[in-house]
Amino acid sequence: MSVPVQSRQQILDRIRAATQSVAKPPAELSGAYAALPRPYVRQGRLPKDARIRLLIERLREYDAEVVESTPQDLPSAIAAQLAASGKRTFVAPPGLPAEWLVPGFDWKIDRGLATPEIEPAEGVLTAAACAIADSGTIVLHHSAAEGRRVITLLPDWHLCILFASQVVETLPEYFSRFQQPPTLATYISGPSATADIEMTRIKGVHGPRFLHVILVHDEV
Amino acid sequence: MSLVADHPILDPTLAPPFPKGALPVLRNPQLRKNVAHAIDVIQAKRARLVAEKTDWQQLRSAASDLRTHALENLGAYLQEFETRCTAAGGHVHWASDAAEARRIVLDLLRQENASEVIKIKTMTSAEIQLNPFLEACGVRVFETDLAEIILQLGEQEPSHIVVPALHINRSQVREIFARTMGLKDLSDDPHALTAAARTYLRRKFLDIPTAISGANFLIAETGAVAVVESEGNGRMCLTLPRTMITLAGIEKVLPRFQDLEIVLQLLARSATGERMNPYTSLWTGVTPGDGPQNFHVVLLDNGRSSILSKPRERQTLKCIRCAACMNACPVYRQTGGHAYGSVYPGPIGAILTPQLMQLHHAQSLPYASSLCGACYEVCPVKINIPEVLIDLRAQVTDQERRSLGRFLDPMYLGLRIANLIFSQAWLFHAAQFFGRFGLGLFTRKDGWIHSLPSVGAKWTQTRDLRGLPGQPFHSWWAARAKEAK
Repeated sequence: MSVPVQSRQQILDRIRAATQSVAKPPAELSGAYAALPRPYVRQGRLPKDARIRLLIERLREYDAEVVESTPQDLPSAIAAQLAASGKRTFVAPPGLPAEWLVPGFDWKIDRGLATPEIEPAEGVLTAAACAIADSGTIVLHHSAAEGRRVITLLPDWHLCILFASQVVETLPEYFSRFQQPPTLATYISGPSATADIEMTRIKGVHGPRFLHVILVHDEV
Repeated sequence: MSLVADHPILDPTLAPPFPKGALPVLRNPQLRKNVAHAIDVIQAKRARLVAEKTDWQQLRSAASDLRTHALENLGAYLQEFETRCTAAGGHVHWASDAAEARRIVLDLLRQENASEVIKIKTMTSAEIQLNPFLEACGVRVFETDLAEIILQLGEQEPSHIVVPALHINRSQVREIFARTMGLKDLSDDPHALTAAARTYLRRKFLDIPTAISGANFLIAETGAVAVVESEGNGRMCLTLPRTMITLAGIEKVLPRFQDLEIVLQLLARSATGERMNPYTSLWTGVTPGDGPQNFHVVLLDNGRSSILSKPRERQTLKCIRCAACMNACPVYRQTGGHAYGSVYPGPIGAILTPQLMQLHHAQSLPYASSLCGACYEVCPVKINIPEVLIDLRAQVTDQERRSLGRFLDPMYLGLRIANLIFSQAWLFHAAQFFGRFGLGLFTRKDGWIHSLPSVGAKWTQTRDLRGLPGQPFHSWWAARAKEAK
């Protein structure tokens, strides 16, 4: 391994020489970083209702289907969505509340399912970590209720449960909400899409082609 | 049927100079139409979404400051990234140049006994010409981004860094897919074409256990890597394989996780005219039970540290590869990407490529611009591309001035002679006298010169020249002064 180590040193030496006159000494680096100006909008200004409306509007622009529910009605809202999909087999992460796994469907709970077991599933049901209204983005940190990355990738149909309390207006608000950076994250802004052929937007290349969201009004 | 007259060469060491490279496109109306259409669509979407962002200019300046800070302290942030990524179970490799990066990737693939590999679109791998190298070493490479598949199957070269196949239209894609996938009855509907690609790749994602990606950002604070994409092919490659090899330029590092709040607001809007790209993936080393369990990052220098050493040129490395500059460029719009003879076309390519080549090649690129400044205006990280272009032009001129070949260059000789003439009044008057006589032979009745012989033809090929007036200004002025007395 002597050659790669040599390159490492060589590159770092070249960088050091190149930035000699501008690089901050180690003791001043974090101070210099903290002093970087951030004059952009960090905190949104919309009242809660308008924030939720904006999220729904943005999600619908991406062809995601959105319905609203209350905490009490959530299981029946889930059942209605699953039934309307016409699908039977669904994957679910291990950390979902038991009442979300509504009867009448084939549930495969992901406790380390192998890929060939996930692949034939028709849909997936998960929670989310956060949603950003401004860009219509759903954030997954892949916790036990959001599932491993693979389960929200292979099935063609994704039903995501979002709570109103999880909705922020701007992207910077998301980052201030999660001071502890996640080790895994996926930001989903609408279903998989491409515009590679004559800039015609086509929904559904490799990820799920259908994104459904139930927005649960958990705050009064 | 070949889509372009001459097969474009995107290796700056072999490519023809820009004016020559541009000819095949300028002579191909279909190609120009395809490029203009794609650019019009992206430009319109971008303009609409940038206009709705009230803090766009503030985001741009924050991004510029952030990227400048990261580059000025690159050594510290790269080492922090290395420490964190290693602690999270990743392996970090350093590659001085393209050859070393290729060798590292090949060695890693050999350790895995990989005879096939799936790839997420990465410009950096195109920069080091990884695919042809791996194929020559017996590894089959499968590109998974739709545009990259079109190029790979059609044996075409990318002409844009975000929409690499924008020069190819639907019927041409149909022809490529029908031929290479054996689908005789395929229609040219983009939906059908996309579905064909989905089917073609599905098994590859599930069966091939080794993948290669690029990186949009490296996060020093956590050792995480971020990849932004639209199709989900990136997520497939980042999730299903056993082994992931990420190739990243050393300039991709951001100090902290939170810095994504700036660049992610700028990138998709600038690149594709979306508020946010459909998928952004972030992962940190290895997560047990989720995704690849062998993770390698190859940090590539390949000329970047030399760009870093020049205060004015350093800003080139702020680039986040959104391609807004090429979409806005009136030159790119006419020539498309292949003319630039590099995987990085457009204004950013015109400054990046010659510098990555340390000005040994691609010296014509700094001139491939009208210096109108549209690129600077749209750049989300405020790279002053015209400023760097002018600086590079000066360096190219200095280089030529030092070479012996300059005495054979008519432009150089002409300017030396002009320099002499303009510095002596009597020489200037004599030149005017003879010039009026000489040019008079070519001046038509309308007072214009429509064609000149020899080197003069270079001017009159594309434009007319006003004939010299009967009386020069200085003699008219002198006569006028005499009359007034």
